[in-house]
Amino acid sequence: MTITLALQLLVNGLVVGGLLGLVALGLALIFGVMRVVNFAHGEFITLGAYLTWLIAGGLGMSPLLGVPVAFLAGAAVGWAVQTLLISRVASRPSLDMLMVTYALSAIGLGLFSLAFGGDFRSYSEGPNGEVHLAGVSIGLRGLTVLCICALLSAAVMALLRSGHVGLALRAVAQNREAAASCGIDTRRAERTAFSLAVGLAAAAGSLVSLIGTTTPSVGHDWVLDGFVVVVVGGLGSIPGALLAAVLIGLVQSFCGFVFDDAWAKIITYVLLYATLLLRPQGLLGQPMEA
Amino acid sequence: MVATRRTDGVVVLASIAVAAVVAALPQLGASSYSQILVYYAAYYLALGQSWNLMSGMTGYVSFAHGALAGIGAYAAVIALNAGWPMAPALLAGPAVALLASFVIGATSLRLRGVAFTFATLFFQELALLVLRKMPISGGPGGLALQDIVPIWLPQLLMIVLACGATIVMVALRGSRTGIRLLAIKGDETAALSLGIGAAKMKVALFCVSAAIAGGAGAIHGLFTASLYPDVVFNVDVSLIALAVPMIGGVATAMGPVVGAVLYVCIGEAFAIFAPSLHVVAVGALLLLVILFMPTGLAPFIAQRLCRQSPRATNAVEGRTP
Repeated sequence: MTITLALQLLVNGLVVGGLLGLVALGLALIFGVMRVVNFAHGEFITLGAYLTWLIAGGLGMSPLLGVPVAFLAGAAVGWAVQTLLISRVASRPSLDMLMVTYALSAIGLGLFSLAFGGDFRSYSEGPNGEVHLAGVSIGLRGLTVLCICALLSAAVMALLRSGHVGLALRAVAQNREAAASCGIDTRRAERTAFSLAVGLAAAAGSLVSLIGTTTPSVGHDWVLDGFVVVVVGGLGSIPGALLAAVLIGLVQSFCGFVFDDAWAKIITYVLLYATLLLRPQGLLGQPMEA
Repeated sequence: MVATRRTDGVVVLASIAVAAVVAALPQLGASSYSQILVYYAAYYLALGQSWNLMSGMTGYVSFAHGALAGIGAYAAVIALNAGWPMAPALLAGPAVALLASFVIGATSLRLRGVAFTFATLFFQELALLVLRKMPISGGPGGLALQDIVPIWLPQLLMIVLACGATIVMVALRGSRTGIRLLAIKGDETAALSLGIGAAKMKVALFCVSAAIAGGAGAIHGLFTASLYPDVVFNVDVSLIALAVPMIGGVATAMGPVVGAVLYVCIGEAFAIFAPSLHVVAVGALLLLVILFMPTGLAPFIAQRLCRQSPRATNAVEGRTP
């Protein structure tokens, strides 16, 4: 493997890792604040991807416009889903909450298949072409995706580190009861976290449509890797999720080249089992209580 | 407790009676269409009841039951094609599923929370990817059963299995083990402090549950006589396994029976009127039941029917008065 080839694979892996980072950031945020795995996350990715396809392919506008539109639409849908459905089962056993998100995922997948059929959708609007740097060719689309992912992740991290909203979210994630007794509105924190996370998923979906094709199950495929990322990074740990996202992106890029994409997926999933077996708390997570 | 034991006996006898009548349908001259509907109800019941045994009783959600049935189907068909006699070939299904579940359970059930859910979810994906790669399973093109068996055989076997799984569920609910399991579901830390060894029990139960799912898969392999990885490991099969008991009534013996019959009706109605809306309908029904009838349809209806008699309600829900 020459150095140029390795650099090329590194860049490809970083693009995948950036997208996985956005997906996993949302999953970790939801799990941290609400203690639920959002099985419907993938369908929100698909939502963002189709919205962007409609904007770029349908209206002929720049797909980059799709990113903020998808984020806002996702945040609105997430807010509604959390308020109308998930908050109703919040006090029930975790089985019910998990099943609600699973049912939503089935409904979403069915509706997308119904509305758009199984066709592979793509568009030619937006950035095209490549940049050559030291023998490595970087697609302009990939570069755009990487930059927006880095920007969005940094913005979310900054939001969580400073300001009232971030403080409230972190407080609820650390200790719900203590946060509530300090006067933090935990229900509002949950709505904020869910809405922000779904917005990020839709934005990620918008970027996914830029570098790949959009199908009704595109989000499902991405969210599976997103689950691996949050487990490997440590459930609920946001820095862990970002670190693991880059790691898994690189693993997929290199294994996909050396073997093929199916083996890259098999290796990724085996990494999940290895984490559960050897380091259940993940790379940067807190050890789970016994 | 006495009342519960007696109703348990009634439920067991009724299950056997219904199964016997249903199994005798071909002799009674029922159309082959209705026989196939009965077969599918039995298949969904066996899958749903096997999920209910593990996830319903312990609260640890498994997404692997569809895949466990799938590898059971592959094991049985590969064994039959290799010239094994019928009985050992059919037993290869549950055996392989049991082995797989032991590996998943031993690695993830010692952990609390969602580790098991993730381990089972990715088992489904891994099984699909690996079977598409392996020459022995025919790769992406799938596998056909070389000697077709008469259709009554899988039909009869599936009814027996579904009835057996329901009886196991009734027996488990009435036993000390069942009460221990519900204690784990309620509060695992409290159960541990009472000396209930949670980890071993969960692994053992998952193995039993997986063997039933593997058996259902093996029989279904005989029934369909051809296996395509993308169909066998479709997410739909896992959806059936959990939607049937969740809709009917989770952790009850009769809930999955209601769920399975309803699932067949929904399937048929949507196959005629709107095939593409089938998954949406199941998802929406699942959502509505969880939001508005948290105990599921069967206990909900039972409560409405016998509001004046709390004892009857308790019997249906399997609670001790």
